[in-house]
Amino acid sequence: MRVVLAEDLYLLREGLVRLLEAHDCTVVAAVETGPDLLDALLTHRPDVAVVDVRLPPTNTDEGLQAALTARRQVPGLPVLVLSQHVEQLYARELLADGTGGIGYLLKDRVFNADQFLDAVRRVAGGGTAMDPEVIAKLLQQPARNVPLARLTPREREVLELMAEGRSNAAIGQRLFLSESAVGKHTASIFGKLDLAPSDDDNRRVLAVLAYLNGAG
Amino acid sequence: MFRSYALAPLRCVALALLAVFGFVASLPLMTAIGAVVTYPAVLELVRRLTTVSRRLARAWGGVAVDQPYRVGPPPAPPRRHDGWYEHDGQLFKTQHYAAFFLRMKWLGDDPARARDWSWLLLLAPVGGLVVLLVPALVLAGVLLVAGVTGPGRRALDAAGLTGLVSWPGLAVPGWAVLAAGVAAIAAGVLAGPALLRAHGRWTRLWLGHPGLTWWQSSGFGAWLRRGGHDTWKAALLLGLSLTGFLVFLLTLLLTLVSGGFGIAWLSYGIRPMLNHYRRLCAEWGGGDPIPDPYRQREAVPEPGPDGRYRVGRALYATRDGARRAGFFPWVLGDPATWRDLAWMATAPLVALAAVIPGVLVGAGYFGLFWQALFWPLWGVPLGLITGFWVSPWYCWQLLTLGVPALDVLPGWTSVPIGLALGLLGVLLAGPVLRLIAGWARVLLTPTRSARLTERVEHLVQSRAEAVDAQSAELRRIERDLHDGAQARLVAVGLSLGTVEQLMDRDPAAARVLLAQARETSAAALADLRDLVRGIHPPVLAERGLADAVRALALDSALPVEVRADLAGQPPAPVATAAYFAVAEALANAARHAQAGRVGVDIRHTGGLLRVTVTDDGRGGAVPSQGGGLHGLRRRLATFDGTLALHSPPGGPTVLTLEIPCALSSPRTSTS
Repeated sequence: MRVVLAEDLYLLREGLVRLLEAHDCTVVAAVETGPDLLDALLTHRPDVAVVDVRLPPTNTDEGLQAALTARRQVPGLPVLVLSQHVEQLYARELLADGTGGIGYLLKDRVFNADQFLDAVRRVAGGGTAMDPEVIAKLLQQPARNVPLARLTPREREVLELMAEGRSNAAIGQRLFLSESAVGKHTASIFGKLDLAPSDDDNRRVLAVLAYLNGAG
Repeated sequence: MFRSYALAPLRCVALALLAVFGFVASLPLMTAIGAVVTYPAVLELVRRLTTVSRRLARAWGGVAVDQPYRVGPPPAPPRRHDGWYEHDGQLFKTQHYAAFFLRMKWLGDDPARARDWSWLLLLAPVGGLVVLLVPALVLAGVLLVAGVTGPGRRALDAAGLTGLVSWPGLAVPGWAVLAAGVAAIAAGVLAGPALLRAHGRWTRLWLGHPGLTWWQSSGFGAWLRRGGHDTWKAALLLGLSLTGFLVFLLTLLLTLVSGGFGIAWLSYGIRPMLNHYRRLCAEWGGGDPIPDPYRQREAVPEPGPDGRYRVGRALYATRDGARRAGFFPWVLGDPATWRDLAWMATAPLVALAAVIPGVLVGAGYFGLFWQALFWPLWGVPLGLITGFWVSPWYCWQLLTLGVPALDVLPGWTSVPIGLALGLLGVLLAGPVLRLIAGWARVLLTPTRSARLTERVEHLVQSRAEAVDAQSAELRRIERDLHDGAQARLVAVGLSLGTVEQLMDRDPAAARVLLAQARETSAAALADLRDLVRGIHPPVLAERGLADAVRALALDSALPVEVRADLAGQPPAPVATAAYFAVAEALANAARHAQAGRVGVDIRHTGGLLRVTVTDDGRGGAVPSQGGGLHGLRRRLATFDGTLALHSPPGGPTVLTLEIPCALSSPRTSTS
């Protein structure tokens, strides 16, 4: 798997390179500024990009902006965004084009190498990986989301895990359900959120979007 | 055909009477317009009065006059997203009052309104005066004819009017008088319809749909209106000045009688009136507002070691006594008090100038110009009943009693002279008003040193508060670090040390400890994240104020609508203060207000960053001393910012903060 990495802190950058290389990934470019990142994304067209939100030279959200710009030119370019803090605002902007291949995680999540690499692979495969903290923030505001209020508690749990980007099998494992039972739940969720039947992966992204947008 | 000629003189009389009625009625209406409740009703009534003139222009003059008013129903107040109705910065629970004020504004702003008033006060009377020519000719003819015919003579004798039509010392043959009388009647009757048509056109010119007439394009109408307003404004300022002069005289009296006892109370008591005067002068005379020049009252000092309070050279046993005693040096030691007194002593001299335009407009326009039109109303009945005929130029005659030299001018010239004097008064009103306001500016504005003193007081206070707030903030950060991240890192270090020893002996236990250390370090990171959010939210650094508030809105438990209109970024400390103010307001709305929706509006106009947070909750919020809002207010004071909370019981709650600042160059925003 070919990876472009953008991180301005030397130690973290080297650590991530080592982590990724140790798990069958090739880091084709490890950059530290926003403009370099955009350049690398457009020339290398990697299988996945791991990007820090805050990058030089402005130390604002350069990484995020570069990733969004690249995705506008290369739709569906898989990007996993890392940050010291997670914001629903950024999550919405990343998911807004509805093409999937998006991850948004706290930097802490790299502590658990297996879970982190699982997320990287999921994003590279066109899926999503949302930080549980984003999901947790959404759950604090039940009154604001009308379609979500129609879900049963169990369906809610399933949607939560789905929003994090997990497959039916992984959800089943977590909730001690059979994969077919999870399948029934997801079908019911799609129905209640008025998502037209289409490619399952895409619908999962849209469900997460509905989840996020319902909050507005 | 015959009918219209025969009726024309009567119609002319009716038009003149209508003009008089409109003029007389407009005076109480002007008074009634001041009472807010009757405002729309008065304007409706004025419309009805002028509409009668429009109808008559069509019926008698054959000239169709369109309604000039804006068509359509008055705009309805828009319902806000929080369910309230807004008008002019005020929120209303029901549509009723908002609609009333909107209707008032709609009626008041109508461009035809000023023309309606001009018609009643000036233009209709002028028209009425001209059309009176027709009945005057007919009446004169009838009297002439009657004077030389037998039956007519007897009727005149019986009515006691013989004197009117006999000229002793002037011998004119009877046939000539008869011919002149018949000619006058014929001229009056024949001219009637033509004059009525002319009057109709006159009506259309002023009351018809406003094409750009000379009145508007020359700016004469606006000038006249402004001058008229200035006249009564100057008169009102004169009244207030005279009140001030009375207070000055009272002060003198007190000084002579009681050695100055009570001066402090008197000069303190008059301050609200003087502040009102300052406001009026700034508003009417133009220029910047005149600020309140008075010193702030100092707090009562802390008691000394003997438990007593020192004020100047005196010691007081109680705090109350010290506070009362502090009143006198506070008022009398303030230079503004003495400047007030100087103004009160001199103001009437300057303000007396206001008498000139008032008298010119009053005597010239309302007296000399109007006398002839009022004369038929009372002079003719009086003459018919008593036989004593007052001259139509009675005001002029009164004047000549005082100034006999004026007698050389014929009486009728008083009408144009009156109009000219009225216009002169209007011309003088503006300069007089500016003169009065200018004098107020000389004495009533704070001196430079008073302004500096106030500024220094404000800065000392806000600096002290800023230092306090900052050190409290640092203490909080220190405590958070000490109990949170620091403690957890110690734990991680301990775990790692133990792992080092266990690694060879008991790898399984070491692995458990390593996992623990990893969890603890994650917890330390979470602690740091929360801490950073409380100091300077990362999203604010990354995206600026508008997007940071949007992120805040997304995290809120309530639906929040954010509207931001910023061309750039405010300075970082200002943005941070504004951000935390919004965060506090949103938290309050979610926690206490039982609000269903919240709106946040951010804009920058006139060098002022203004953030408004409105919720549709139950209202009645009171900022507690030491509460979150109090802290915010102190924080904003450092930037000369203000925070206003408007929260009537029943809601809505509106929190407005304003911070003077400049915006830096625009940066791109993604939304």
